[in-house]
Amino acid sequence: MSDTDRDSIIARVRRFILEEFLPGEDPEDLTDSMPLISGGILDSIKNMRLIGFLEEEYGVAFEAHEISFEFLDTLELITSTVQAKLAEKK
Amino acid sequence: MDFALSEDQRILRDEITRFAENELNDDIAERDRGQTFSREQWDKCAEMGLAGLPVPEQYGGSGLDGLTTAIALEALGYGCRDGGLVFSLCAHLLACTVPIWKHGSDELKERYLPGLCAGTTIAVNAMTETTSGSDAFNMACRAVKDGNGYRINGTKIMSTNGPIADIVITYSQTDPEKGAYGGLTGFVLDAKTEGIRTDQKFEKMGLRTSMLGEVVFEDAYAPEEAMIGKVGGGTAIFTQSMEWERTLIAAAHLGTMRRLLEDCIAYARTRVSGEHTIGKHQAVSHKIVDMKIRLEAARNLTYCSAWNLDRSRTSAMASSMTKVFVSEALVQTALDAVQIHGGHGFLTETGVERILRDSIGGTLYSGTNEVQRNIVAGWLGL
Repeated sequence: MSDTDRDSIIARVRRFILEEFLPGEDPEDLTDSMPLISGGILDSIKNMRLIGFLEEEYGVAFEAHEISFEFLDTLELITSTVQAKLAEKK
Repeated sequence: MDFALSEDQRILRDEITRFAENELNDDIAERDRGQTFSREQWDKCAEMGLAGLPVPEQYGGSGLDGLTTAIALEALGYGCRDGGLVFSLCAHLLACTVPIWKHGSDELKERYLPGLCAGTTIAVNAMTETTSGSDAFNMACRAVKDGNGYRINGTKIMSTNGPIADIVITYSQTDPEKGAYGGLTGFVLDAKTEGIRTDQKFEKMGLRTSMLGEVVFEDAYAPEEAMIGKVGGGTAIFTQSMEWERTLIAAAHLGTMRRLLEDCIAYARTRVSGEHTIGKHQAVSHKIVDMKIRLEAARNLTYCSAWNLDRSRTSAMASSMTKVFVSEALVQTALDAVQIHGGHGFLTETGVERILRDSIGGTLYSGTNEVQRNIVAGWLGL
């Protein structure tokens, strides 16, 4: 499992999104607050791929209603969601 | 992965095959012509446990894993020549019972699963609309908060089991701004709920013994307890049910393909043309060989996908690949079977042409094959 402090999670998820969904994009352009769903970067399939990655990488489980804007729309939100789930596990 | 059948799986397969061959094949041509659903045969299937195969025993199911469920449905598809009945049963089990089992509250499970597994209640999955088919999440149906529940308005079409349903599973927009990302919610309601109509029936080219209809919601009230999962969870719940459906309807297709293969071999070994049986002509034998190759490839894909249902968070890519390959393999196999039977294959009485008509539906329902290819492309990063 990857490091679970906030900066490590944000960096790991940013790398995943850049490699998988934004190949060739300047990493600087993907800011922590950039809208991923409403900005059109994540569609329904990419969302499922992202969830699969997060669940495998951090050993957490997402519920059906969490595959939504309020949990996944930015790197900040994704990181907070993962951290909250990790805290629940402890 | 080990797909060698266990002793229990072999017994299950043989029992279901024997049951289906003996109990489900009367008067199919007549029922197909009249578009008649047989409640009597539905009840027999339910008594056999086919309406609740993977559901835990505590709710009246058999508690089978995904692979064993596939083996059971393959046996049903092999023994039962009524493709519409098999389809109705699969839609009930996979698109309706599975989401309640996987995501329903304890109260919903206790209320609905025993009847669904016993087949005493029949369910419809009301999803497709006039303006949203394969792009299912682009729906117009709305569920607006009203007290401790929701008022649902909208019209769903092409709903399998609609005209005969006792229970309706449906998905509505609870937050249109969020759309597919937290804006859709699933509900389960009694079909007799005030404000729900399930009367209109559609006529179709194949699967004619399975009833397809419209489900209309006019201010139908869904209490909070009728929600499947939590508000906003509809997209993921529906998506998962489609993964089950795409994989396990394909399993039933395997049985149909095996039966067509065996029928064609028997026919080709006895039908004489010139000095030889037609099986001695390569134009015929090669078609049959291709049927065999398609069947074996289809079985491997389907078993892999079914095995995955219990093990992975999402089997989207595997189920879409399985659905595309198996449904198209079935169409080609049915087409070849008609050709091998010659003029007899074109006659209604042999039943081969009915399987061809039935097979076309497989490329359309549960999301068209074009959409399945889009899903696979998405998972490949394209």
